[in-house]
Amino acid sequence: MKLTRRAFLATAIAIPTIGLRPAAADERVIRFGMPQDFTKIYTFLAAEYSQGQLDYFSLVNGRGGVNGYKIVADVSDSANEIPRAIETYERLKREGMVLIDPLSTPVARALVPRVLEDKINLVTAFSGRSDAADGSVFPYVMPLSPNYWTQAGLIVDFFRQQDRDLRGKKIVLVHLDTPFGKEPIPILQTLGQKLGYRFSTFPYAPPGNDQAAVWPQVRRAKADWIIFWGAGVGQSSSLSEAIRNGIALDRMCSSVWLSESDMDVVGKGAAKGVLKFEPCGSGRGPKIIADIVREVAGKGLGAGSEAKIGTAYYNYGVMMAAIMVEGVRAAFAKSPKGPITGPWLNEGLTSITDFTAEGLLPAMTVTKQDHQGGGRGRIARWDGEKFVPQTDWFSANQDVVWAEIMKSSEAFKTTGQ
Amino acid sequence: MMFYRRSGILHLDYRSERQLWPLRFDRFLVATVIALLLAAPLIVNRLYLVAYLVPWLIWSSATLGLNLLMGWAGQVHLGYGAVMAIGAYTSVHLVRFGAPLELAMLAGGVASAAIGVVFGAAALRIKSLYLAMATIAMQYIIDFAIIHLPGVSGGVLASIQVPPVRFLGLQIEGDLSAYYMAFFVCAMIALFLLNVDRTAFGRALAAVRERDFAAEIIGIDTFKYKLLAFWASSFIGGVVGCVLVVCYLRTVSPDQFHLDLSIQILAMVLLGGLGSVLGSFFGAGLVLFTPIVLNVVIGAAAVRFGFQIDADLKAHLPLMLYGTLIVAFLSIEPLGLAKVYGNVRNYFLLWPFRTART
Repeated sequence: MKLTRRAFLATAIAIPTIGLRPAAADERVIRFGMPQDFTKIYTFLAAEYSQGQLDYFSLVNGRGGVNGYKIVADVSDSANEIPRAIETYERLKREGMVLIDPLSTPVARALVPRVLEDKINLVTAFSGRSDAADGSVFPYVMPLSPNYWTQAGLIVDFFRQQDRDLRGKKIVLVHLDTPFGKEPIPILQTLGQKLGYRFSTFPYAPPGNDQAAVWPQVRRAKADWIIFWGAGVGQSSSLSEAIRNGIALDRMCSSVWLSESDMDVVGKGAAKGVLKFEPCGSGRGPKIIADIVREVAGKGLGAGSEAKIGTAYYNYGVMMAAIMVEGVRAAFAKSPKGPITGPWLNEGLTSITDFTAEGLLPAMTVTKQDHQGGGRGRIARWDGEKFVPQTDWFSANQDVVWAEIMKSSEAFKTTGQ
Repeated sequence: MMFYRRSGILHLDYRSERQLWPLRFDRFLVATVIALLLAAPLIVNRLYLVAYLVPWLIWSSATLGLNLLMGWAGQVHLGYGAVMAIGAYTSVHLVRFGAPLELAMLAGGVASAAIGVVFGAAALRIKSLYLAMATIAMQYIIDFAIIHLPGVSGGVLASIQVPPVRFLGLQIEGDLSAYYMAFFVCAMIALFLLNVDRTAFGRALAAVRERDFAAEIIGIDTFKYKLLAFWASSFIGGVVGCVLVVCYLRTVSPDQFHLDLSIQILAMVLLGGLGSVLGSFFGAGLVLFTPIVLNVVIGAAAVRFGFQIDADLKAHLPLMLYGTLIVAFLSIEPLGLAKVYGNVRNYFLLWPFRTART
């Protein structure tokens, strides 16, 4: 009788431990963690972004990997929920993950203190804290892409290039009313004082599917230039409402978050003329993308639908994967013997020099101080079929951006804000 | 043999009759679980401590707090995430001004209670679905207020780190101390709720829950008890909000406390079982971990059996299964996981004879 009770309890205790998986065997792999949000907020881009990343890793692995090491990306759905992302983070950390790319601002925020402690590289491309560009304060947080402040700075500089002088002009920001939407405001204000344009903001309520009340006000404001700042459904709603209010699209510019699928919603022809910031080349023109079409998708190894290859967010995924792999290459160049750890990869990532991913991106150089990689990009215009670059790769207003980065990272260092 | 042996238990005074767990086996189970939880850092891998036990304890605490309002007092609340946000922000700001964490935590609770009771006042006039709407309004108003007051949210990037803190003399850093702090607070809240039923307060809540005008007729001040229920539940919510940011998130930002969190905790209450302490723990576990487990299992199965599935489908498949599970579960046992446990326990109460009818 006693024995049965004990056996019962022992079984009850033993059940959870059955699930324990032994740590992965020592193979020649480099593990990346991709707990991304495929089902909640970031759905508008996660699938394409992830597909681009995976296809690029397949391309690299198909060519023999880096130094004989294969890149293994563990993709899972975090649903933008912090407990799920942290579970993945802890699980993959045990398996020797050296880099994590959650593609979510809330998740990145919760991971920042953890990665600084655990020395795992946290990639926060187009998400997370803008001030993480300051590598001296955030050694393991790697935006590796032009942050929102840089994007705002470049967009304003493009306006200046077009009009020669912005003095007396009026620029408005139509934005999602969340911390993300309000992020460019300090830069746009500072530049306004410097360049002499008038600046005002028009917030709309999240998630942004109803902006009918805002755009008539925008029309009445008679702005010379409009920057619209949202994501997903907010962007296509902005465009539809702008068209309905008769606003000239060729004087409207978006951040990185505008893609072909938004144009499908608005109507490809109707959206003609609208501008966006581009961090990397679009379409299937760039050599890497063509290689993927031939070597990965052509052999049936693609991670998703072939039609998505070359779309804006797909290319962002390829861009980020290429930068990560370049970091691995640079790390091997520095210490070929490894061991493969977070600090080892960090050394590599922070010594990326003039990397262009065979023409996909503007030359980027990451240093221990600058985790943004130089802050270059270009402005592209939708011609009804595709995004056509209007400028060369350029960088602008980095002094203002870096002043804001330093101000913010200083606050993080001293007060934790 | 019988697990829940009832023979030989004779109550000779009121105290023994009213004790929490009159059956020896129940006491043994509770003691075992507490001992296991206390020893967990020694027994289980760090992964399970950090990624499972800590969030489980914290979300269970929140579920207990909401359950007090929904299960015990019968009032709907769809803005519990906002209640937690108030506690989280209040306590983090106080800690940053140099207040000790214990004090800041209680102050967070009081702030949540004070604001929660204002919205709870709506419950005096409206019920059920209408009250749900009023509490959703609270969620949106609080969200809006936090985002639009830079002094609260922490400026452009709207995130504030929790500074190094001590709790009851224990430095909260790393996993162990955070785990024990979450455990301590959770134990206190559970203890409080276990005892609610045995107080006049608890009986009054039950009367209000069953029929508020009938309660009024038998002399219960429903005005007072509805407000008290909102007060107590919001206080717990505020305290848990503080624990959540100190022990788990370590950074406080507005997007952590949106409607999603409120709905998640509501689901935990409903799936666990209204008015059950044990159920709150079950519900929190089920809602937090089913998606994770399904995700891991499907991911592992895809690798093991080498079938190529789309990233999109791979992400949505666990959700579909999870949804099916919830629907199936609620249609088979609408009273929640606590009732499932109750059925098992009832079966063993008379085992090996036939099931006790309850």
